Amino acid sequence: MRWRGCWRAGFLLALHLVAASAQGEVFEEDLTLRPLRDGKLEARFSFATVLKGATPRDPGALTIDDEAQHYTLFPLALGQILREHAVTELHLTLNAGKWNYDHWGYPEEPGVGTGAELWVWMADTSPSSVDERWQGLRHSLAGLFCASLGHLDDQRTTSPVLTFQPEGSLPNFTHPHQLRHATLPSEHVCTENLTPFLKLLPCKSLSGIASLLNPHRLFDADWHGLGVHVRYREGAGVEVRLAFQAVFDPVRYSHNMRRDWSLRSVFDRTIERACPVARSSKVRIELPSETSYAITPGPTDVVNNVATFAIDSGKEALDISMQWPEEGSFEYQDTSKAPPLTDISVRRNLEGTSQAEARLTLELTNNLPVQVSAGYLETMPWHLQFYLHTLRAYIGGAPRDDLVNIISYSPPVPHSRPALLQAVLTLPPHATLHLTMDVSKPFLRYTEHPPDAQRGWDLPPAVVVPFAFGDLPNSNGTAAGEPPSGSPQTQQRAFAQGRRPRRMYTPVMLVDLATPDFSMPYNVIIMSCTLIALIFGSVFNLLTRRFVVVEVDARPEKQTAADDAR
Amino acid sequence: MDSDTDYAFPALVAARLLLASAPLPDALKYDQQLSSPLTSYSRLREGIYLFQHGVDPYSGGAFRHSPLLLSLFSTVLPLTPYTSPLLWTAADAVAAWALVRIWRLRTGAKKTSRDRQIAALYLLNPYIFLPSLALSTSSIENMLCLLALMFACRGRTSASLLSLATLLQLSLPSILLLAPVLLLNITRPVSRLALPQPMDAPLKRVIPLIVEFLGYSALLTFASTLVCGNWSWVEKTWGASLTLPDLTPNPGLWWYFFTEMFDHFRPFFLMVFSVHLLIYVAPLCIKFQHDMLYAAFLLIGVLAVFKPYPTLSDPGLFLSMFSIFPEIYPYLRHPIVTALIHLHASLLLPLFNSLWLRQGTGNANFFYASTLVFGMGNGAALLDAIWAGLRIAIGELKEGYEVAQE
Repeated sequence: MRWRGCWRAGFLLALHLVAASAQGEVFEEDLTLRPLRDGKLEARFSFATVLKGATPRDPGALTIDDEAQHYTLFPLALGQILREHAVTELHLTLNAGKWNYDHWGYPEEPGVGTGAELWVWMADTSPSSVDERWQGLRHSLAGLFCASLGHLDDQRTTSPVLTFQPEGSLPNFTHPHQLRHATLPSEHVCTENLTPFLKLLPCKSLSGIASLLNPHRLFDADWHGLGVHVRYREGAGVEVRLAFQAVFDPVRYSHNMRRDWSLRSVFDRTIERACPVARSSKVRIELPSETSYAITPGPTDVVNNVATFAIDSGKEALDISMQWPEEGSFEYQDTSKAPPLTDISVRRNLEGTSQAEARLTLELTNNLPVQVSAGYLETMPWHLQFYLHTLRAYIGGAPRDDLVNIISYSPPVPHSRPALLQAVLTLPPHATLHLTMDVSKPFLRYTEHPPDAQRGWDLPPAVVVPFAFGDLPNSNGTAAGEPPSGSPQTQQRAFAQGRRPRRMYTPVMLVDLATPDFSMPYNVIIMSCTLIALIFGSVFNLLTRRFVVVEVDARPEKQTAADDAR
Repeated sequence: MDSDTDYAFPALVAARLLLASAPLPDALKYDQQLSSPLTSYSRLREGIYLFQHGVDPYSGGAFRHSPLLLSLFSTVLPLTPYTSPLLWTAADAVAAWALVRIWRLRTGAKKTSRDRQIAALYLLNPYIFLPSLALSTSSIENMLCLLALMFACRGRTSASLLSLATLLQLSLPSILLLAPVLLLNITRPVSRLALPQPMDAPLKRVIPLIVEFLGYSALLTFASTLVCGNWSWVEKTWGASLTLPDLTPNPGLWWYFFTEMFDHFRPFFLMVFSVHLLIYVAPLCIKFQHDMLYAAFLLIGVLAVFKPYPTLSDPGLFLSMFSIFPEIYPYLRHPIVTALIHLHASLLLPLFNSLWLRQGTGNANFFYASTLVFGMGNGAALLDAIWAGLRIAIGELKEGYEVAQE
């Protein structure tokens, strides 16, 4: 009986696979593990489903019924949302923690801004505009992921096209595509968000790499974030990629302060079975540069310092472990002497002790020996009012306002629209650029303060994108042939070649705004109205009553009325 | 005495210039008593900067000055740390000169012994010179108001209506002064408080003046729209006085009331407060039709108490104008109480503002209470001025008699 059950299950599975490949759906899963130099471990889960031959829905055709969509592996709930609102490209990240660029380097997934960040590219159309569909999309995603994405309303939505370029291709619809971007830095991530995330996977968390996603361990990590990325690749189809990134601290879990880790010690789980519908299921470990480590079991292959483990079905449970047998307890590097792992380091602060005005400072350090141009994006809600005429740039105390080139600025509208500042900053080699700008803090209405008003408001991260490394080559500099190696030009070209523009997010800031006394609305109304009524009444008393001359001697019968004051 | 009068005015102006060019702390520029969101210097500079860089300054909520100021300061008069104190001291000097001219026209004399005192009372009044040091554009508004009154006293109707139209562009609540200025143009400014009579000039003469004023206003509005390119400035400048979008604290009564107001009642109370300002125009103009300058003075007092975004300049102008009505001094009932309440409030306002916003040891109620006291002080001054202006008509009384109202 058991054999017959197994055969039946296997037959259905084969049917599924045939159907899926005939449909053109491909599912691939991938786990990348990278030990960091401060003993931590970065893990990146990526689950990609490609719907072959599909195109995003044309928003011009929203009024007519959509053609029937049959999905086997592609998540139905997400697919329905994408077609309902005619979304071409979507990126949603829910992160918690502060990504330490200097010690952890660049993340595998670039969207590491704390809180919720949602940006979409949608084509414009006449029956229902981008803004209406943006609102519908936010609410649908809020329902799907149990996150309060409905709060990403007009007060947080901007369109920073220079920084958030589409990662896929945009099909040619009648109207051009528009970008909508919003962040909610105070959004928390927890199991409630992970559960619907896992429901979007073909194998859920029952088999394959997704079985490692143990919420107890994931949300205990130093940094964790989940991401949903939808893009259209011309020639390939619509791709949905679900990602989960986390930075674990094996030193914290171990008894004796060792940085040895294994899947069991980090996730408290192992990979029991492979996901049967996955075309490829891999675990990749980026091997550290020192050689005194040991990996068990042996990897399938090692290419370019990356060990790959292919997960096959039928084998026993996979538990990869990496040990440093010759090391005793892990010794942390002196962080002040450790060089930063990224090209530029960014720090953003809000200075000032008053609740009426403050100063925003940004400090960018260029760690490369060539000049770097970086794009700087601020999408600041109206809780901070920028005074752009006070923006000053300094290097080592000397004013260098020429290094800041403001591309676009749209001022914030109180109660309505955030500020959008896009600028290009030029950083000389090995220099630290200090930017300061005066800002003023607004005074909110009684009903606009959140429940815990004294905590303050979270301000979204600024995004810095270093995009150009080294100067542009001179036209009359190099004649024919290659310049000699080791010259500045080859150095600059070498820097420009290996690098692509990657977004860097600053940490979020907290601003405390002045609060009125919340217990006093009635008292304020009556006291102000009393004063106004007092003055009003007295003025009109004086103006309308007749003047009378009265004798104050003890002769009450003698009273004469004088003429009025007319 | 002639030589003294000749040197007094320039000496005062020089003293003000000296004070303005001294290095003062920047805290004065951001002080909420001295400049409001409609008059703040840093917002003016921000608007000019955005304008010069191709961003519409009225697309955000920071810049609420009139487009006329925008075009003036971005083209003709640049605002630098050197020229701004000069400009503001010049505005105050012109306003003081206008006040002295009004006094002279009222008494009918070419030179009097009180000219020095009147100029000093204007230029050295802390309520006037502190906002001027903070480079708040309320000094320019005061100058335009006094110029409008002075030209009206002289009978130069066009100049006075043009000044008033310009003042209206800068500050919408000054529409209250339209009626007294129009009537002042057709009557004489000589003091007739003691001899009240019905107005001797025919009211029909006001109609061409109204048309002229509307023409000037339309011209300036059209010019503002040309500067801006669209009509968005109306909502941000004039609309700010009606809808109160910016709740920055100031010495007035509106901000905390509308901070604590629930959204459901906001439009109703905004309407009530705005109409309340308009109620005072007709009664005061009718009651003081024999002396329209005094009616204008009282309406300036009404503005000082009840304006949506006041600064210290508005009560400052009202208190300084007491100096041109010396005939009412014997009839003021409680000048010392008013002065003491003013002293009390003017010391408490900056103290409680700092305790709330900078030191964090007080809360908003402290500052709100001090604005209530300040409002009481201004209200007491207004009531006393009305009483004295009416009481003077009855004149000296014999021993044993007193005046009362029934």
